[in-house]
Amino acid sequence: MFKQLQVAFGTLLLSQLSWSAQAAALMGFEDSAMLMTEIGRYNQEWMLNYSPTLGHAIGVEQMRMSGKGEQATTISGINYTGLIKRWNMPAAQANVWFNGSVGEARGQFDGFAYTPSLQFDAESTRLYFLAKARMIRAPHMNYDTAALQSGFSFYETGFNQTQPWFVLEAKTMRNNDPGLQITPAIRLINKHYFLEFGITNPWQGEGFAPRLNAMFVF
Amino acid sequence: MKKYLIALLFSTMTPAAFAVTTIKAEVNGMVCAFCAKGIEKKLNALPQKQAAFVDLKSRVVALQLKEGQDVSNEAFSKVIQDAGYSVSKMERVSQTVDAIQAEVAKAGVK
Repeated sequence: MFKQLQVAFGTLLLSQLSWSAQAAALMGFEDSAMLMTEIGRYNQEWMLNYSPTLGHAIGVEQMRMSGKGEQATTISGINYTGLIKRWNMPAAQANVWFNGSVGEARGQFDGFAYTPSLQFDAESTRLYFLAKARMIRAPHMNYDTAALQSGFSFYETGFNQTQPWFVLEAKTMRNNDPGLQITPAIRLINKHYFLEFGITNPWQGEGFAPRLNAMFVF
Repeated sequence: MKKYLIALLFSTMTPAAFAVTTIKAEVNGMVCAFCAKGIEKKLNALPQKQAAFVDLKSRVVALQLKEGQDVSNEAFSKVIQDAGYSVSKMERVSQTVDAIQAEVAKAGVK
């Protein structure tokens, strides 16, 4: 009985999770692997990539999404991430990234799928900003996405400590409901992991959805 | 008199006997521990490493070398660049990594 309750609670929690934000770093360092997961109420995604050299990473990605009243569509593909430009400043860093997958869509929409995106991010040890645009297309399918994020850390930390951040995200996704998702989130970063917990559209009854994002580098 | 001579002898021998070489650098772009993990991983992989230290706030990366071993400035810079960052200043000091860490912590408290 207790186990059934646990499973039911877990299922309920997962069903309420919403599409998550993007992290600043889309890849690790030279000769490293990175695992990213984004679990959402309307969308879920995971990606595993490997960086043979700084600035390039290849991997696999799977994303699942659905519009209102639609059957879900799952895209499975090969992913590439490229660092187009990086600015290393005395107390800040800014990047322009390309990221995208090509693969197959199955579900509500079927066929060849592609998801090119561009991302700009800038951060210091206290402030953070990100802008991202991504096409998510397959025959007759359009889930194009745009997102803005901004945040601040509560205090500076040492290299071996966990730093908490507050991040606010505004995101739109075509043919999704709700079309505009506002997510305040708490982000925890240390050298082993990146975790983010947020609530999408906290004022909205049906749109209200907890959100989880995690990244690990090996 | 004999004691003074022995003390004098030890005081002149000590620096040579315990010579420490540490590469201390200021690194640009190092703002997040998750992202800067690559620096630590690559420094730890160096066989010449005695100890290493990374500090985000002061932007300091330090590599204490094993006695009698060396890493060229170019090789050190490449480690930082391969991790995605750039060196803005580099020097060789005779402090241990522990001493640099204490110095950075003290400066942070002020």
